[in-house]
Amino acid sequence: MSLRHLWAVTRKEIQHIIRDRSTLVIVFLTPFLLLFVFAYSLTVEIKHVPIAVLDFDRSETSRQFVQRITAGDDLELYAQVAALEEIEDLLLRGKIKAALIIHPDFSRQVLSGSGMPMQIIIDGTEPESGAFALDNMASRAEEFIENIFADQLVALSVPAEALKPIDLRISTWYNPSLKPRVDLIPGLISMVLGLPALSVALTLAHEREHGTLEQLMATPIGRTELLVGKMLPYIFVGMINAIIIPTFAIVWFRIPFNGNFFLFLGLTAIFLFAILAMGIIIGVFMRTQAAALAVSFLLIFFPGFFLTGIFFPIAAMPEIMRLESLGLPGTHYAIITRGLFLTGVGLDVLWPYSVMLFGLGLAFVGVAALFFKKKLG
Amino acid sequence: MKSNGIAALAQDLVKRFGDFTAVAGMNFEVYRGEIFGFLGPNGSGKTTTIRMALGLLTPTSGSVEVLGVPVDGNTHALRPRIGYMSQRFSLYNDLSVLQNLQFYGRAYGLSNHELKEGVEDALVLAGLEGREKVKTHELSGGWRQRLALGAAILHEPEILFLDEPTAGVDPLSRRDFWDLLYGLIEKNITVFVTTHYMDEAEHCHRLAFIQSGSRIVYGSPAEIKEEVMPGQVLELAPSDTGKTIQVLREASDRLKIDEVELYGSLVHVFGPQMEDKLDAIINTLRDAGHDPGQASLVEPSLEDVFIASIK
Repeated sequence: MSLRHLWAVTRKEIQHIIRDRSTLVIVFLTPFLLLFVFAYSLTVEIKHVPIAVLDFDRSETSRQFVQRITAGDDLELYAQVAALEEIEDLLLRGKIKAALIIHPDFSRQVLSGSGMPMQIIIDGTEPESGAFALDNMASRAEEFIENIFADQLVALSVPAEALKPIDLRISTWYNPSLKPRVDLIPGLISMVLGLPALSVALTLAHEREHGTLEQLMATPIGRTELLVGKMLPYIFVGMINAIIIPTFAIVWFRIPFNGNFFLFLGLTAIFLFAILAMGIIIGVFMRTQAAALAVSFLLIFFPGFFLTGIFFPIAAMPEIMRLESLGLPGTHYAIITRGLFLTGVGLDVLWPYSVMLFGLGLAFVGVAALFFKKKLG
Repeated sequence: MKSNGIAALAQDLVKRFGDFTAVAGMNFEVYRGEIFGFLGPNGSGKTTTIRMALGLLTPTSGSVEVLGVPVDGNTHALRPRIGYMSQRFSLYNDLSVLQNLQFYGRAYGLSNHELKEGVEDALVLAGLEGREKVKTHELSGGWRQRLALGAAILHEPEILFLDEPTAGVDPLSRRDFWDLLYGLIEKNITVFVTTHYMDEAEHCHRLAFIQSGSRIVYGSPAEIKEEVMPGQVLELAPSDTGKTIQVLREASDRLKIDEVELYGSLVHVFGPQMEDKLDAIINTLRDAGHDPGQASLVEPSLEDVFIASIK
């Protein structure tokens, strides 16, 4: 490998990046945009879920119960209805996400302590809101019963604490406030930092489309020199992002960074090498920029989203998907970022993932260089 | 020219893509210091042949040698000695004139000093001094073509392959471009140029005319004319060219003429010993009631030769 040739290619790529506004936008602005969109759309808390109530009991107790359920911000009473058909209609029209049907025998059974006859219907087409409503009503029902009995026990002079034989205290580590963003954002960062892979795939396809690739192949620049030379500027760009974006995330989203930032930068460079090499492979195989763009989304971003364990646990995947996720740089890098942001582990824990990333990068560059020549013939 | 040595040599060169034969047994010798023309219609195998000579494509069979080195798997050592200007000028349109030249100079491993000199020479050659900062896409076709030529010879190659350098360029720029090519010959650069413009054939020292991947005629323009068209060409300027061609074609067996072709607004009649047939041809036309107009014997053009050799 000749440094002069490498530098010739790298220097030219830098000139392209500076000249082309759209590359600049893709490279610097899109990661921010994606981070924002995902951080906010994926972590918005569910509030004000509209429900309907069909009260066959119409007692003081059932009225109190409905009041308790809708007292907070979580559930909102959309309508008191008189018939089952109305519930179905409201559900179908999307006006409510859940419905509570109170049995005619509700107050009698509650007050006698023999049960709490009611039915909860949830909209299965929107399981998130439905499940939320279900959990919410169930826990409110528990509180409601407790209160009634506490009142009765107070009347009987028995301390209320005697009712709780198990004292369960949940303590959450690493993300103590349980804000969903905190564990999501390092994963999101790992995803958006891989975006330059798209540009590198496009630049190679661009050369092919415009006929300059053929000219390049006639120069003494070697295949590997060309491919690596094209990757270097994007590694540089990626490193700038790797400083700006986490800094921004720490300040804006108030997420912690418990590890060593220099270790983070070092491992990010390895990740960029691997993911850019993936982009290079796509650029080698695709003849047009449009195709390269489509395939980048298919092979880099969708798996990066679904298979790297950022949003969906890898352990829950079928075996073949789990194997595939091992071949994605994002999987290993997501573990690294989460570790460095949240748990603050060091290289002693993260080295296997780092080695894996580096190995993937080398393998990808090898495959790209191997097929590069054949594709011209 | 041959005494200078051979700059490129193809022997029974064949390239097939699946069932399609792009180059079907090509043979040629390019002598050092000449402009060798590779003429043929689009899709006749010109680009494929150049790509094999550059080592960008592997021949199905046969061999090609450039500057005495067989072009096979490893052409790395050869590349700095070769210049190439591919079909679409191969410049980076978003970069400036200077950035393009510097990139190709660096790509060929020029030192900073060599690069500076090479870029200056290329700017002079392309006539783009003072316009170094202009973005390439702002240049017209003729200027881009000259810039691409400058970029292709920055590293002072011994042989330069030009693939349709004049395609899509206006006639005036094409003439200027050929003047530049003659300038390269003076710098001892051998030029291998493909074109589909017949009129450019006359500019070449030697040429091969190819069709469907095969060589049809080969040699210097004078040799080719002598070999393919030993006789002369009778040029007629009739008032009704269509009728004239029809009458003469019908009488071609009796008159012993080979071809009658439209040549612009004139009619060319080919055949052996045309001077002996002049009177018979004119009489035939007059008998049929046509005015043959001005009639003269002329040298065949290469275009005449190609039309004759295709038939």
